[in-house]
Amino acid sequence: MRVAIDRERCSGHGRCYAMAPELFVDDEAGYGHVVDDGAVPLGSEEEARRAAVSCPEQAVRIDQ
Amino acid sequence: MVVEVFHVEDAPLESDRTEGWSYVRAAGDVIRQRDGSWLLTSAEAVRFGHRHPEIFSSARAFDRLGSPVPLIPIASDPPDHRRYRKVLDPMLAPRVINALEDDLRAQVRSLIAAFADRGSCDAVADLGRLYPTQVFLTLFGLPLDHRDQFIEWSETIIEASSPSSDGMSAETVETALALFTYLQECVARKREDPGEDMLGRVLSLEGDDAFSDDEVLGLCFLFILAGLDTVTAMIGFTLLHLAERPALRRQLRDDPSLIVPVIEEVLRLEQPAAMTPRVTTRDVEVLGHLIPEGSHVFLCLGTANRDAEKFPVPDDIDPAQADNGHWAFGGGIHRCLGSHLARRELRLVVEEFLAAIPDFELEFGPRPTVVWPSGTLHLETLPLVFPAGGRT
Repeated sequence: MRVAIDRERCSGHGRCYAMAPELFVDDEAGYGHVVDDGAVPLGSEEEARRAAVSCPEQAVRIDQ
Repeated sequence: MVVEVFHVEDAPLESDRTEGWSYVRAAGDVIRQRDGSWLLTSAEAVRFGHRHPEIFSSARAFDRLGSPVPLIPIASDPPDHRRYRKVLDPMLAPRVINALEDDLRAQVRSLIAAFADRGSCDAVADLGRLYPTQVFLTLFGLPLDHRDQFIEWSETIIEASSPSSDGMSAETVETALALFTYLQECVARKREDPGEDMLGRVLSLEGDDAFSDDEVLGLCFLFILAGLDTVTAMIGFTLLHLAERPALRRQLRDDPSLIVPVIEEVLRLEQPAAMTPRVTTRDVEVLGHLIPEGSHVFLCLGTANRDAEKFPVPDDIDPAQADNGHWAFGGGIHRCLGSHLARRELRLVVEEFLAAIPDFELEFGPRPTVVWPSGTLHLETLPLVFPAGGRT
């Protein structure tokens, strides 16, 4: 499983890194980015799902 | 001919937002109001509005407020909007707020300590009105000793900008002038010695990023219009819901990790800025309704945040659905610039309030009501009672 952020949609709500700090990190402007290449470690699938649901812009994508 | 009779101003929101927003939602996804303006109420319609700033423009949407300076960045469209946000977002980013957190926590703790021994307080007057202005002054590097004067000025201006106001009275104009004069003096002083605070950083911008004096004043004015009474209102709503739910308060005490989800739920249910204005740049079809070019459109966050398709328990607090992506801070490119700061203020208020006063309830009497119609849904007062000294 892998997570990615659609940069066109992201508007900096900051929910992804609040919900799943192991998978996302904030930048100096408060916008979220995936950690490393976005690969979701085993056992963090639920965090990935929560981050995707919590984004008001539907900007977090999960690829199986 | 169809005569439109609906107007959101008639919604019964005063004592119960659930009743009020149900009334609005029942009128449809896309509603033409009797004054010719439009209301988008469903999650899908609101999302469409957020995703198309080129159709739903913000540049002229705030003209009603009659601001003498451009309201930056809320009343702008791309590409200007992008330029403003590029420099402003980093100034209100979580890591900037992290650096202020200890100071902001100490300030809210001291405000609460001032009434904790009394056994009663008006959470709006004694905390909600004071704290956001202190935070603004701290962030902008302005002296806290002008707090009460500042509150008086800003409340007069906010009141004049509300839809129920008759517009600018002589008193309002005088107040606006006094506030602008004060801010201009601060700006002049800060141009000499900018410092590391937000105002200093805006004034230090150079080249293409530099703000004109008008733009700096417009930014200050926006903070006053958008960043003070909204947080005041949310402090009131959050403490209202906690006062009414002793079991939830106990849950928060046993598991403080629930504080943030509960705040998110109160944001979703009570978002003070419940309708954000836009003006259409062309004819547009939304869910089968043709909205003509030049129409005033309101994105109704109050109803979208209670859309049953998105929230299994649409009208009550359920920490389990707190991560379902609400729009209390709007959405799209105009997502509230101060959302990270507002969230932090609310968390610090709740943490410190519960630490000092674990048990509190509404003073006996009618349930506090909100002012409606109003630009910002808010409680005028929130009288609370608790064991004197807070801790029992």
